[in-house]
Parts: sequence; structure tokens; C-alpha cells
Amino acid sequence: MIEIALLAIAVLVVTLTLGVPLPWCFGAALMVMYYVGDVTMKGMVLWGFQQLGNPVLLAIPLFVLAGTIMSASGIAEALLRFVNSFVGHVRGGLGVVAAVSCAVIGAISGSGLTGVAAIGPLLIPEMEKRGYPRAYATALIANSSILGLLIPPSVTMIIYGWVTDTSILACFLATLGPGLLIMCNFSVINLWMSRRFNLVLDDKPGVVEFGSRLTKNGAYAFPALLMPIMILGGIYGGIMTPTESAALAVIYAIPVGFLIYRGLTKNSFLSAGKDAATSVGTIMLMILFSMILGQMFVFEGIPQALVSSIFGITENKIVLLILINILLFLVGMVVNDVTAIILIAPLLLPLMEALGVSPIQFAAIMGVNTAMGGVTPPYASILYLGARIGNVKVTKVIPPAMILILFGYVPVVFLTSLWPDLSLYLPRLFGY
Amino acid sequence: MERFAKYLLTGLICAVAFGQFVQVLTRYVFEIPVMGLEESILYPTMWLYILGAVNASREDTHIRANVLEIFLDTERQHRILSVVGEVASLIIGFWLMYWAWDFTAYAWRVWRESPTLYIPTFYADVALIVGMALMMLYTILHLVRHVRFLARGDEQ
Repeated sequence: MIEIALLAIAVLVVTLTLGVPLPWCFGAALMVMYYVGDVTMKGMVLWGFQQLGNPVLLAIPLFVLAGTIMSASGIAEALLRFVNSFVGHVRGGLGVVAAVSCAVIGAISGSGLTGVAAIGPLLIPEMEKRGYPRAYATALIANSSILGLLIPPSVTMIIYGWVTDTSILACFLATLGPGLLIMCNFSVINLWMSRRFNLVLDDKPGVVEFGSRLTKNGAYAFPALLMPIMILGGIYGGIMTPTESAALAVIYAIPVGFLIYRGLTKNSFLSAGKDAATSVGTIMLMILFSMILGQMFVFEGIPQALVSSIFGITENKIVLLILINILLFLVGMVVNDVTAIILIAPLLLPLMEALGVSPIQFAAIMGVNTAMGGVTPPYASILYLGARIGNVKVTKVIPPAMILILFGYVPVVFLTSLWPDLSLYLPRLFGY
Repeated sequence: MERFAKYLLTGLICAVAFGQFVQVLTRYVFEIPVMGLEESILYPTMWLYILGAVNASREDTHIRANVLEIFLDTERQHRILSVVGEVASLIIGFWLMYWAWDFTAYAWRVWRESPTLYIPTFYADVALIVGMALMMLYTILHLVRHVRFLARGDEQ
């Protein structure tokens, strides 16, 4: 049966290559399983549709909507001004602002696209004005934007927790360590690369001026900064479930956007609602069919067959972890994060458990790899969006993006696999 | 149509968010659980998921990898690839629609009701077949657009 599963995956890749929308690519793989593998479809749609009704998944549209509303409301400018108060006068400081602001936005939205969509239009022109090459600024912001998938809450971790039956709160914490490390790496790489640019810097403020600027910008950014505190505090304080805290975030974001930052108008609110609903629709349809395919694989015992085939090659844990990282990297190059998690996580989890890797650490491994997939071509949705926002050719963005990936991202990917404490320390601290 | 989509989808997603928020208020602030609130949120939620996907078909914004596009230079080549992609989507989509119909027929036959308020779940289940039909309709429209472009190109 493993041959038929491989054929189904091959058909999925071929249809993807032809530009068929992802949900239908899963449909093509289902056709292979049905016609070639004789696996029944009877009852599968009923099962899949019932799974979509799970209240856990409801957190996804709500976090996406909260992020979209905050992005449209002008929150990004407040955050940028606040972070800039600390490092604006430092050489390369604006690049650090980009990385840190994307991380903060990640703590609100749960999506990898919000950072680049909210920060990019403001910061790319500003960085260029200060002497950063436009392609570099775009690459830095697009790469930093993937922090949205690693800093909790994260849509991909909700899905991982759901498909593998692992605590979503533990999964959120598992990717936080690697996410913060990547943010630090990007900041250091940026400071190092900035030495080559002819930059215009802010004057170094005196203590009084620094204090007053910090207070003013801090007060302006306070309603925005309160949002991640509310979301994460609600979840980890044990007060609310992720879904409930996502709903609270939406209800909080609407008056903040309309009345405090005033970026939200009736029209932009309607557009934000429509965009969020459309994103959610594409994700959910994909989840429906990919989940049915995953279920067929499980019915046919593919994960177990995969474990024995892989252990037939080698049982060395380090070699296997490196191979799995390479596999996830390749998968991330051709499919998006959600798809990779739904398809691969249930397949590889038995193997990881056999290797002694806990499902929580595997959440972090999947999280960092699939997030990196968002900026590695040919399927690099976040990088392409960045290039479109920055108005730069993708080919020009790729070289600086590769430097950031190679030195900022890849080391963390391997560290996450080989050093369990990086992803397990925080979950343990919270009792997981 | 764009305006209708904006109002409908924003209305649905806000209804879902508001329902959840009311649940937070009643559960944690007033400590009076409202019977059946959770199950009634299911209906706008399922329609939100499916109509969101329909809107992605309308706007042609479903996630695609478009790997081959990188190697194509002319608009005509892109359109030919799009035709191939849309035809494949139609074949797969109609096959999936058959199974969605099978599911809808089952839901009609069984006529399940929600546990507390006894609302028939068919009203949520029917969203899938309606959505699949609309998505196929939009796929046909995109296909016609590409074919027309190619036909015009040949005339020129």
C-alpha cells in the first residue's frame, strides 16, 4: 500500500506543479487512493465535515480576523514607533525594529503574512530612505514575518495540536524559544550587514529626550501591546481557551481600530472581514480534503509502514533527524505550512515517538521547518508577498533572503531538532 | 457582487466572533452558561468556511504553487497552463462534488438534530454541496475566460 500512497503524493505534486488550487490537488490524490488503492470514500466526507466543526478550529478564523483588523487599523505604525524609540539611533537599528515588530505582530495575529502586510508598506520605504537597499529591506521584513508562525498564537500550531492530539498550549510554547532565537539571529545578521550600507541615523537622544520619547510612543502603542498580553495571559493564566481568547481579541480589536488608531473605516473593516473569511475558507477547504487523505493513509497503516521502511535504512537518531529536516525543507518548498502539517505530522509522529522525540518537540520541528517553507522558493508565499509589497523583483530579493535563511534560520532548525530543551523548556515550565 | 461578498462574509465572521464572545461573557463574567450557544455557532461557522472558499474561487485566490509558471515567458503559455489547471480542477472538483452530494443525500435521509436546541444539522451540512457547485461554476467561468483569451490571440 505504501507504493499507492507514494503514487498519490506524486499525483499531488504533479497537479500542484500544473497550478491546480491546493484543495483540488488533494482531491487528485484522493482519486488515486480510491481508483488505484481501492480505498472507500463512503463516509469520508461526512467524517471530514464533522471534524471541521470542532471548536478548536474556530480559533483560526478568529485569530486571522483579529490580525487582519489590527493590520488595517494602523497598529503597525504605533508598534514601529515604540520599538524605534529603543534602537532608532543605533546603526542597523531600523532592521532590528523590523524583526522585533514582526515578532510582536506575530503575538497578535498567528499568521505569517500579517507581519509583512502590516509592516512592509511602512518600513520598506523608510528603510530605503535611510540607506538600506530596497531588496534587502524587503527580504528582512519577509523573513521576519514568518515569526508570526512561531510566536504564539500560531495557526499552524493549532492545526498541529489538533491533528496529533497534542496540547495546543504546549505547542504554542514549543515554537516560542526557536522563534525568539530566530528574531535575535536576524537582528545580529542585520547589524553585521548594515556595516556595508551607507545609513542615515537618528541623532543619539539625551536621557531626558529618550525618556520622553519612550513614554510618548509607549503610551501610543499601549492599546496594541495590551492585545498580546490579553491573548496570551488569558490562555496561559488558564482563564480562557485559545478560541475564546481569539474571540476576545476580535472584539477588542474593533473599537481599538475604529476609535484609538482610527485606521479602520467602514470600508476597510468590510474588506478586512472579507479577506479574513476568504483566507479561512481556503485553509478550511484544504484542511477538509487533506485530512481525508491523511485519514486514508492512517487506515491503510502507512505511518507504521513508513516507520519500518525508514528504520530499515538506519536507526541512528541524529541521521534520521537530519533526514527528516531535509524532507520537511523539501516539502516546505512545494506546499504551504498548513498542508505540510496536516499531511506529514500524522505520518511522521509514530517515527518520532519511536526515536524518543516527544510530540511537543516535534511540534517545534514541524513549526520551524514549515515556517521556513514560506520563504523558500518555488512555493514561497510570504517572500512573494514581500516582493509585491516592496515592489522589487523576486530574483533580487532571493540573494539577501538566502543569507538570512542560511545564517539566521537553518542553524535554529537543526538546534530545534538536536537540542530538545530549546523547545521543551518553556512547556515544562508550564507543566506540560 | 464584491459588495455582497464583503457584507455577507464580514457578517458571518463577526457573527461567529460575537457568538464566542458572548460565550466568554456568560461563562466567565456572569457565570450563567447559555444553553445551546456553542452548537448554534456551528451553523454560521460552516457557512463561513465554505462561502470563504467560494469567494476564493470567485477571486481566483485559492493557494496554488505555480511552479511551472516560473519557466514560462509569454502570456499565451501562461494561459495554456491555466487552461490545463482549470480543466484538471473541474475533473477533480466534479468527482469531489459527487461525494459531497452523497454526503448531502445522507444528511437529508438521516435528518440529525443538534443536541440541545434540536436545530437540524442539515442546514450546516448542505453548505458543502452548495459551495462545491458554486466553486465549479466559478472554475468554469475562469476556464471560459482563458479559452476566450487564447481564441482571440489566434485570431490576431
